[in-house]
Amino acid sequence: MSWRADLLAVWAVVVRNALMASRNVFFFFELLFWPIVGVISIGLMTRFLGITAAQASFVLIGTIALSIVNVCQLEVAYAVLMDVWSKSIKHQFLAPIGIRHLTLGSWLVGIVRGTALFTLLAVLAWWAFGFRALRPGAGAVAIFMLGCFLNALIVGVFVCALITLFGNRAEAFAWASVNLVLVLAGIYYPVSMLPGPAAALARAIPLTYFLDAYRSHFGFASEFTAPIATGLVLSVVYAIVGHLTFYACVQRARRTGLLLKMSE
Amino acid sequence: MRSPVASLAIEAREVAKTFRSGWLRPRLTEALRGVTLEVPRGAIVGLLGPNGAGKTTFLSILATLLIPDRGIARVLGMDVVGDSLALRRRLNLASGRPSFLWSLRVAEILDFYGRLYGLAGPALRARVDALIEEYELTEYRRVPYNELSTGLKQRVALAKSLVNDPELLFLDEPTLGLDPDVSVRVRAHIAALRRERGMTIVLTTHYMREAEELCDEVAFIKAGRILDAGTPDALKRRIGLGDVIALRLEPAPPAWLTEAPGVLRCVTADGWTKCTVDDAEKRLPDLLRQLFAEGITVRNVRVREPELEEVFVELAR
Repeated sequence: MSWRADLLAVWAVVVRNALMASRNVFFFFELLFWPIVGVISIGLMTRFLGITAAQASFVLIGTIALSIVNVCQLEVAYAVLMDVWSKSIKHQFLAPIGIRHLTLGSWLVGIVRGTALFTLLAVLAWWAFGFRALRPGAGAVAIFMLGCFLNALIVGVFVCALITLFGNRAEAFAWASVNLVLVLAGIYYPVSMLPGPAAALARAIPLTYFLDAYRSHFGFASEFTAPIATGLVLSVVYAIVGHLTFYACVQRARRTGLLLKMSE
Repeated sequence: MRSPVASLAIEAREVAKTFRSGWLRPRLTEALRGVTLEVPRGAIVGLLGPNGAGKTTFLSILATLLIPDRGIARVLGMDVVGDSLALRRRLNLASGRPSFLWSLRVAEILDFYGRLYGLAGPALRARVDALIEEYELTEYRRVPYNELSTGLKQRVALAKSLVNDPELLFLDEPTLGLDPDVSVRVRAHIAALRRERGMTIVLTTHYMREAEELCDEVAFIKAGRILDAGTPDALKRRIGLGDVIALRLEPAPPAWLTEAPGVLRCVTADGWTKCTVDDAEKRLPDLLRQLFAEGITVRNVRVREPELEEVFVELAR
C-alpha cells in the first residue's frame, strides 16, 4: 500500500469520526459534561477534606488524566463501535484498508478532543481551585499528554479487539475498561498505596509512569527511575500487541462469520 | 491468446464452510458443502436458492468477508484468502439490506468509501458527483442516511458499491423488499453496468424472474450444494421440463392428444387443456392441424416456456 493510500485511508477515518462526533449528542456529555462534573466535584471534595494544595494538585492531575484517557480511548473504540451500531461493519472491512488506518484515524480525532478537553479542564481547575496544570512547562505537559493519548490508544485498540471477538456484547468494555486504569494507575493515590499484586499490575500500566513523571514537577518524589522512558517503551509494546490482537480478532471474525452477523 | 483460466472472473473448487455457535454445546451448521463454480469475465451470474441455502455465505467468501474452511476460491486470478487485501481494491459489494452510518449524509458516505479506496481531491468529487447523478440522488445528497426510504438506501448502496469502479461486483439480494417500480429501476441499473462497463456481476436472489431477466448463467444452490448451473435455456432443456401449450377446445379434448408425438403430458382444468411438449414451435402446427381435421374448434391458444422457478422445483425434488 502506498503512502498516499495510507494517508487517504487514515484521513477518511478522521473525517468520518469528526462528522459523527459533531452530530452525536453523547459528544457533549463525553467532552464537556462528565469531565467538568468530575473536576468540580473532586476539587470541592479536596476542599471539604481540607487536604493540602499539593495533595489537591495530585488528585486533580489524576482526574484530568482520567478524563483525557477516557475521551480519547472512546474515540479509538468508535473505529469499530460506530459501524457495529450502524450494522455497516462489513463495508469497512471490505475496503482495502488495514486496522492501523482505523485505529490511527480514530486516535487522531481522539487526540484533538483530548487536547481540547485538557485545555478546558486546565482553565477550569485554575479558575476554580487555583491549580496550574501548565506550571511544569510545555515539554512536561506535552509528554504527560502523549502518555495519556498512548494509553488511550492501547485501551481503545483492545476494546476494538474485544468487540470483534465477542460482538455487540463486548461494547460495555468501551466504558468499563477505563475504570481499571482508575483503580490501578494511581489516579487518586500513589501506586505505593496498592497491595502487593495490585502494585505489580500498576507497574505494568504505562499511564502510571507518565502520571509519576508529571507529578514530580509538582513536588512529589518519583517512585520510579526513568519513568518517561519506561512508560514509552511499555506503550509501544502494548500498542503493537494490541494491534496484533485486534488483527487476530478480525481474522477470527472472518472465520466465524461474526463480521457478517454484526452487519445484520 | 488468453488462457481459459485468465478469462474466468471466479474459479471456486470444493469450497466448504461450517459455522459453529454456542460455547458449551457447539452447534454446527454446514453452510457450504463443497461448492464448485466458474464465472466468466463480463458475465452476470445469479446464485439462486431458498433462504439458508448458502448463497450469501458463498458470496461473502468470494468477497473476502468470510474465510472458507476448505477448498480454493480464486477471484480475478487471486486467492481470496492469501491475496485478500489486493483483491479488495478490485471488487465491491452491495446488499439488499443496506446499512451505513446513520447520521452521515449521502455524499459523505460516498466520500468516506471513496477515500478508503484511494480517491482524493477532484477525482473523488467527480466520482461522487457522477454516482449521485447516475443514481438520481442529487436532491438527497445532504440528507442523513437514516432519513432515507428503503429504495433510496438501496440506491446509495449501489452507488457506494461502484465508488472504486470495480471489475467484479457482488450483489446480495439487490431488490429485496423494494417496491416493484423501484425493483425495475434497480434491475435496469444492473443491466446497464454490464452493458456499459463490461463489469462481471454475481448476484444472489430468490426471485427467479429477476435471474431470468438479468443473468447469463444461473447456479441453483440448496443446502450448501450447487444442484445445477448453466444458462437458463440450457437448464430448462437439461431438466426436460418442455414448453406448455394451453388450449381452449370445443368440444372436449380428444383422447389421442396425450399420445400425440412430442406431447409429454396433458392436464385439463378450468376449461383449459395444458399440454407439456418437448418443443412448442415444432409440435404446435401438427397439433392444430389434427384438431382442425377432427372438427374441434380451438378458441384460444397460449404458449409458455417453463420458468426458472419450475426448473428449481424440479431440481430441488
